[in-house]
Amino acid sequence: MPSFNFVNPVDFLNMADSPGTYAGDFYTLNFEKNATPGNVILNLGPQHPSTHGVLRVLVELYGEYVLRSEPVLGYLHRMQEKMGEVKTPYQFLPNMGRVDYLNPISWNWAFAGAVERLAGLEPPERAEYLRVISSELNRISSHLLWWGAFVMDLGGVTPILYAFEEREKINDILQIVTGSRLTYNYFRFGGVGADADSRFFQLVEEFIPYMRERLKMYTGLVTDNVIFRRRLEGIGPMDEDLCRRYGATGPILRAAGVMCDARRLSPYGIYDRFDYDIPVGPSNDCFGRYLVRLEEIRESLRILEQAVKSVPEGPVIVAKAPKPTYKLPAGETYFAVEGARGQVACHIISDGGKTPYRVKLRAPGFSNLSLFAEAAKGVILADAIAILGSLDLVIPEVDR
Amino acid sequence: MRAIWDNLKGLYSLLVGMKITILFLFSPRKTVHYPRKVVERENLENYRGPLELTRGKEDAGKTPCVSCQLCVKACPGNCLTVVKSKEGKNPQTWLYDFSYCCLCGACVETCPTGALAFSHRVYMVTKTREELVLDLLKDLKERTEKKEEPNKGLKNKS
Repeated sequence: MPSFNFVNPVDFLNMADSPGTYAGDFYTLNFEKNATPGNVILNLGPQHPSTHGVLRVLVELYGEYVLRSEPVLGYLHRMQEKMGEVKTPYQFLPNMGRVDYLNPISWNWAFAGAVERLAGLEPPERAEYLRVISSELNRISSHLLWWGAFVMDLGGVTPILYAFEEREKINDILQIVTGSRLTYNYFRFGGVGADADSRFFQLVEEFIPYMRERLKMYTGLVTDNVIFRRRLEGIGPMDEDLCRRYGATGPILRAAGVMCDARRLSPYGIYDRFDYDIPVGPSNDCFGRYLVRLEEIRESLRILEQAVKSVPEGPVIVAKAPKPTYKLPAGETYFAVEGARGQVACHIISDGGKTPYRVKLRAPGFSNLSLFAEAAKGVILADAIAILGSLDLVIPEVDR
Repeated sequence: MRAIWDNLKGLYSLLVGMKITILFLFSPRKTVHYPRKVVERENLENYRGPLELTRGKEDAGKTPCVSCQLCVKACPGNCLTVVKSKEGKNPQTWLYDFSYCCLCGACVETCPTGALAFSHRVYMVTKTREELVLDLLKDLKERTEKKEEPNKGLKNKS
């Protein structure tokens, strides 16, 4: 066994007196307290490419096996909730695109929906359809990026470039209505920001069959690949009980066999008008979660197909839409939507003042990440990376 | 026997993947070499670039801005500075700090006279932070002298 200079557990307050004496910061020292002497403690991140941002994971390794692990958060904390308390709701809305930069439309919807529920606003019919179309397009683009990044974590670098080709198409479509390509700020209270023209609908219609063809190509390129399957099948099982204990939602819970989707269980918007299935996974391992997400892309395309055909004419925003200085009426509300990663929700408490009293953002990634420490017990380090990738983490959303 | 069959199937799956890769190797390129070329016929109609002032209806070189400060109050990032001139309603200085701007559109949507619009400048690069503070009146004057096509702004302003 290689010799390892084990740092004795010390009170972290002593560290301030003699800086530079001990290796590691507070988290490392705390983590080392329970370590078996001789085991290697490894810092995965915060700059590790497979952690998708600045997530830091402490792992205790015995040889190549992970004995314990602990995610360290907060490297990308931006006080989004506090910002919600010091800005008017209208001014806080663009922040929603920044919470989760890969799936901003769902966050837009969560916050705009919560404000609308509190203010009693009803978006026009056309705006509801545009919301569904943009939200489903965004879900597809988020899953596509996850697909590429996940395969890249496992060692296949090229598939992300195939995924970006479709993602660029979706960005082109969404740019027509939102004006930006990444941090969309499309929703307004009582409608959407801009109307879509015929070109928008034409591009969406062209995109649906194209994407179906590409999904067939993905099956040949990645899903059926024997190396890929042997890396994933049976790795990191997360059963229903574990998901329920940690509050995991989204594809992880659905892969565990629970039909839990806010679009079906508590229909918001006009999701109850469309015919679509909620994919429930065949297995609760990494491969099951992979299949559920690909199946979700297919179901999103089905929703898009029906939505594009039946968009009515009319205004896209209510006549007296809230102004930037709009004051929320006093009250408390909770609004949940189904994002690409799970249940995205917004809890607003208002005392009738200029700014809300409290804004709580429920990020699915935060709950999903807490499953990692349990699922990664006793697996090989490379499999732990596969588990981390299969959770589909976006660190800005986890830290908020 | 079973293991041999599994391995053969696995080998076939690798060949299928390789076939797709090789097909894409001979397909036309989809990207451009950016600094030397840019994407042609790119649709920037609704693209939100840095803000710019629109032109007045009667006098093309004059802004319709009346210095009402509504945009300044609406801005979540406090990036606008509008100073009223002494002689009339029109602004004396119109400074816009692009480094604080989040391109949310609050100012464009609140403007009562439609004096603000998003430009379509995609490739804006500066070396210092000071260059990001844009003088929009100066920018308007330059565009009037060049006789550029006026910007339509947000398509359906609510």
